[in-house]
Amino acid sequence: MHGVKRQTQQAIVDRKQREKSKIEGLLKLTDAVLDRKKGKDWSAEAFDATTQLLTVNPEFYTIWNYRRNILLNGLFRESTPEDINELLSGELALTMKFLQSHPKVYWIWNHRQWCLQNVPQGPGSDLDGWRKKYWAFELQAVEKMLNADARNFHAWNYRRYVLANMSVPRPESSELTYTMKKIESNFSNFSAWHQRSKVYTSLWHQGKLDPIKSKEKEFELVRNAMYTDPDDQSIWMYHRWLVGLGHDKELLEREIGVIQELLEEQPDSKWCMESLVHYKRLILTNYPSDRDKDLVADCVRLLDQLKDIDSARRHRYEEIHRAVVNISTHP
Amino acid sequence: MAADTGVEDGAGNYEVTGIPPLIMSTHLLVPLHVKYIQGLGESKDDLAYHLTAHLRLNAIYWGLTALSIVNHQDALDRDEMIEFVMSCWDEEAGAFGAHPNHDAHILATLSAIQILVMQDALDRLDVPKVVKFILSLQQPSGVFAGDSFGEIDTRFSYCAVSALSLLGRLHELDIEKTTNYIIQCRNFDGGFGSCVGAESHAGQVWVCVAALAIMDRLDVVDVPTLAWWLAERQLPSGGLNGRPEKLPDVCYSHWALSSLAILKKLSWIDADRTISFILSAQDSEGGGIADRAGDMVDVFHTVFGIAGLSLLGYPDLLDLDPVYCMPAATIEKMGLRKDWQALERRTTSES
Repeated sequence: MHGVKRQTQQAIVDRKQREKSKIEGLLKLTDAVLDRKKGKDWSAEAFDATTQLLTVNPEFYTIWNYRRNILLNGLFRESTPEDINELLSGELALTMKFLQSHPKVYWIWNHRQWCLQNVPQGPGSDLDGWRKKYWAFELQAVEKMLNADARNFHAWNYRRYVLANMSVPRPESSELTYTMKKIESNFSNFSAWHQRSKVYTSLWHQGKLDPIKSKEKEFELVRNAMYTDPDDQSIWMYHRWLVGLGHDKELLEREIGVIQELLEEQPDSKWCMESLVHYKRLILTNYPSDRDKDLVADCVRLLDQLKDIDSARRHRYEEIHRAVVNISTHP
Repeated sequence: MAADTGVEDGAGNYEVTGIPPLIMSTHLLVPLHVKYIQGLGESKDDLAYHLTAHLRLNAIYWGLTALSIVNHQDALDRDEMIEFVMSCWDEEAGAFGAHPNHDAHILATLSAIQILVMQDALDRLDVPKVVKFILSLQQPSGVFAGDSFGEIDTRFSYCAVSALSLLGRLHELDIEKTTNYIIQCRNFDGGFGSCVGAESHAGQVWVCVAALAIMDRLDVVDVPTLAWWLAERQLPSGGLNGRPEKLPDVCYSHWALSSLAILKKLSWIDADRTISFILSAQDSEGGGIADRAGDMVDVFHTVFGIAGLSLLGYPDLLDLDPVYCMPAATIEKMGLRKDWQALERRTTSES
């Protein structure tokens, strides 16, 4: 149970008293539905009974399975595509209702996905008509879920699934607009930063965007975010991704300069120090020079400070310390 | 972020202070937790008990593992437990459901196998049949589905890898294919998600890293980056979260700490603070551990809290194997131990 407050012993006794009749009802209904399932009852009555049971317990995966089997072996048989479409439409409405009160239940998302995969061809000669309509709606539906909880990973996963499967694909670049909106309303939304990293990687890979130019825009965005909240780790992690393995020396030195400047304003910023150590180590590894001694000394000084202000991770800093000193003694 | 910490007033009450509890304010209430777990099967007057029937086998595995780590494996009746597990067998599918008359699923199937292994009762199992079920769930992409309806998740890949390994049938798995899918789930932060494209999450990191460990493919992990990301899951309260900028939760003591133990970087977090965070989430009246201090307990958080404590060297606990989330001695006896590293067992609860 996540985030449910503990009750006093008396409150538990009272609750159990109140729950007595509910338990009886639930057990009776469960037995009735499982009996129908055993008897391979694919009727509309059985279907309604599963609705009743799932309303009480949407995590009962066996009942979702049974429901799909009723559709496949019963209700879909001898149905017109219109009827099937009608049934699936009902399923989508039901799962949407369930998701609003249970946004993190895997089985509900799963059932919704199954429904979409089973939308028939039609209406009439417009083979993709229903599908197009549903997929376009799905994007709105999932946006609603992400408005309620911008970090719900089920919703983000579903969003990626929808985007990948829409009959009329949206340009991938529109996802940059969406994630930007999410980030602007909250810099700490790492889910949105993550999504951006995926979208950019794909656009660069397909040659649809110039990596250098688009990275510059991202650096600007991240710089703003760093100055707004230097304690937010999402930003620093994203920054590290942008810099990558440090194969651009000029860029590496420029970013070190930016962070150094921020550190002067925020002399206790752990993330400034941590990032400086990381980027300076990249210079040490990638571009050995006669400045190495100074860089090593910088790193050691920052690591000493980090051991102090971020003592929980002291052993990590000590390990890096040893590695840095090792570089300087074994060029 | 700081408001997530609770401090005990000595009478088992907690108040939110915003100040991290730096002193070990209490100790692991072993007898109470044993009693709590023993009582779970008798809480049929609780609606929540019936609403979680779809997790019954998992819950028994969690309870038994927790009891084993606190060295009370015999607190639940062995024969009764084995009979219950066997009553969850779904003959049509050739695997286990979570409860009698529930459908077979890979989650329940792994729990059943884990229980039978811990109770030394694998002889009850139709191994070829269950191996066939597991292997049938692998998709062309290499990921596993949970059942015949095809929901995919790297959690199910872990279930398959762990189960096959416990059954001594890992050689029947296409390791290359299974590993390749996990590699595709790797993100820039070194972590792994539930499917290709998904955000890193400490729980998914654990299933992927542990599956890779079993398959001897940890070479595909970017250890410095991932261990860094995992170490940053620790918040000032000592608790760990599952993703950046989220609240701490006791269950991540297992997901993140076990992953760190497999990567041999468990010293990268502050053990004392995590220990006091876990201890503060105990229910000092009824037993059990919650996600956070003051919340309702459940067996899921109880086992993962105890698992975290074991890995951190909390005194008088048995070793937990972070790859299988089972008693280390059991895994060692089967010759399945991988090269992980927990913190040294302390002799007293003084830090």
